[in-house]
Amino acid sequence: MKSENLKRHLRSTLEFAGFTVPAVIVIFAFVELPFLMSVLYSFTKWNGLDKVPVFIGFANYMEIFTNDPNMMQALGFTLLFTVFMVFFTNVIAMLLAVALDSKVRGKNVLRAAFYVPNIISMIIIGYIWRFIFSKGFDSFYALTKIPAFQLSWLGDAKLSFVSVVIVSVWQAIGFYMVIYIAGLQTVPKDIIEAAMIDGARSSTRFFRITMPLILPSITVCLFYSLSSALKTFDVIFSLTFGGPGTATTSIALDIYKTAFSDSRFGYGSAKSVLLFFLILLVTVFQLSLFKKREVEA
Amino acid sequence: MKRSLAWGALSVALFLVAIIYLYPLILVVINSLKTFTEIMTDVTALPTAPDFQNFVNAFRLLEYPSLCLNTLIATAIGTIGVVLLSSMAGYRLSRTKTRASWFVFIICVAPMMIPFQSFMIALVKIAKILHLTGSVYGLGVIYWGLGVPLSLFMYHGFVKSVPTELDDCARIDGCSPLRAFFQVIFPLLQPVTMSVIVINAMWMWNDFLLPLLVLSGEKKAMTLQLAAYNFFGQYKIEWNYAMAGVLLTVTPAIIFYIALQKHIIKGMTAGAVKA
Repeated sequence: MKSENLKRHLRSTLEFAGFTVPAVIVIFAFVELPFLMSVLYSFTKWNGLDKVPVFIGFANYMEIFTNDPNMMQALGFTLLFTVFMVFFTNVIAMLLAVALDSKVRGKNVLRAAFYVPNIISMIIIGYIWRFIFSKGFDSFYALTKIPAFQLSWLGDAKLSFVSVVIVSVWQAIGFYMVIYIAGLQTVPKDIIEAAMIDGARSSTRFFRITMPLILPSITVCLFYSLSSALKTFDVIFSLTFGGPGTATTSIALDIYKTAFSDSRFGYGSAKSVLLFFLILLVTVFQLSLFKKREVEA
Repeated sequence: MKRSLAWGALSVALFLVAIIYLYPLILVVINSLKTFTEIMTDVTALPTAPDFQNFVNAFRLLEYPSLCLNTLIATAIGTIGVVLLSSMAGYRLSRTKTRASWFVFIICVAPMMIPFQSFMIALVKIAKILHLTGSVYGLGVIYWGLGVPLSLFMYHGFVKSVPTELDDCARIDGCSPLRAFFQVIFPLLQPVTMSVIVINAMWMWNDFLLPLLVLSGEKKAMTLQLAAYNFFGQYKIEWNYAMAGVLLTVTPAIIFYIALQKHIIKGMTAGAVKA
């Protein structure tokens, strides 16, 4: 009897392992192990070629904070970019979602139209806009004589920041719009109608009733836009490659350059560990701030 | 009457906004059909006579068919692997209510919080050791590890809506656990499977950084995004080639989008809300 029990226990354990171990192995091998290794590398000096990295304690972290203007510049750029990107993406996406969740004609075509840039890879998006900013703007200026088209949108440090924000927001809007539309569709129509009968104005209805009810969507969109803005890479890689100078170098691009152009793998790892903590800190703070305010209809 | 007029005006306004919004892409299409001199004179003008020579040239210079095949191989291996691994594990972890199971679940989904850039340096090293660099097959395999956490999380949640009686039925019929899963349970998970396929395929097809890191320098193992990037670097002045190249690169994703539009919207929303 006892051996029968043992056998069954063994079999269910084996079955459990058979189903789960393959997933655990690939996640460990390609995410968790390399992450742990990056943490270890961050305490070493290593050019990627030497067999053994040299342990140097916290020297990499010290250098980041005391002697690396590039990284500080990248940090500043990334934070500022994140603020603008998250704000404009979410506000515009929400406005579009409200407009396209109404009784407006042709809303399916419009939704699809605004979603199109999201299907295209960021690398191509960056390149398309390089064409627009250079050749396109030349022609726009010739046609309209609007001085803004004559400016150097990718060559000037301040303007290139604006360009990167414009392109990123342009690409992202469709995705967030779709999530907001899904959120708006869960808002019960009778609540809105009740408020209408009570004489609430449309702005009051939106901010007092709709907004609180779609807070879960807002939480999700903020979380997504925050974490993707903080690790932005592709679009900058093909639009400006971090330039002019280092004006639009994000942390992710700085890590890439440190590791794969300068061959400073230990130092790059230290930066990548800091990026992890930065994103963790910001998103956990945002989630805890928003989660407790969610209400149900 | 007044109301419907207002709706009509809003509709017209939105269509105008949409056209301006998509104007950069419209310009890409227009200019891909122009000759070099036409682009140089005026980007906004329509081509005098549509010229498909750019596409012929870009098609040849990019070695387009082999690129599509490479990208398709990596995407297919990656997506199929993610679906199999995450559905099996997600199902089992959702059904087993022990502390060990919960612990394994956390180990599997926690990596969603680790940004790719935080471990890419060491990942390249591991990929080299495992001989996964320089080949699209290796690339597909690496995607398993990166894609499973979110997909497993989605399966794990969905399995709860599948009645456990079905597990028992299959068991009584004497099926092996794996066969019971794939014949009875897996077909019932189809809604999530569609979302998982869409999310992973779109991401892998459009991904740039991982292919850049693990395929770099290998001419035979180029993906579309990687080759497109190199192509643009090479034909800096020939915007007409480049614009045709852009369209060629984007076309497969657009076709995929049109074919699966409903699932894509659903999948994207599902993935986002669950995470």
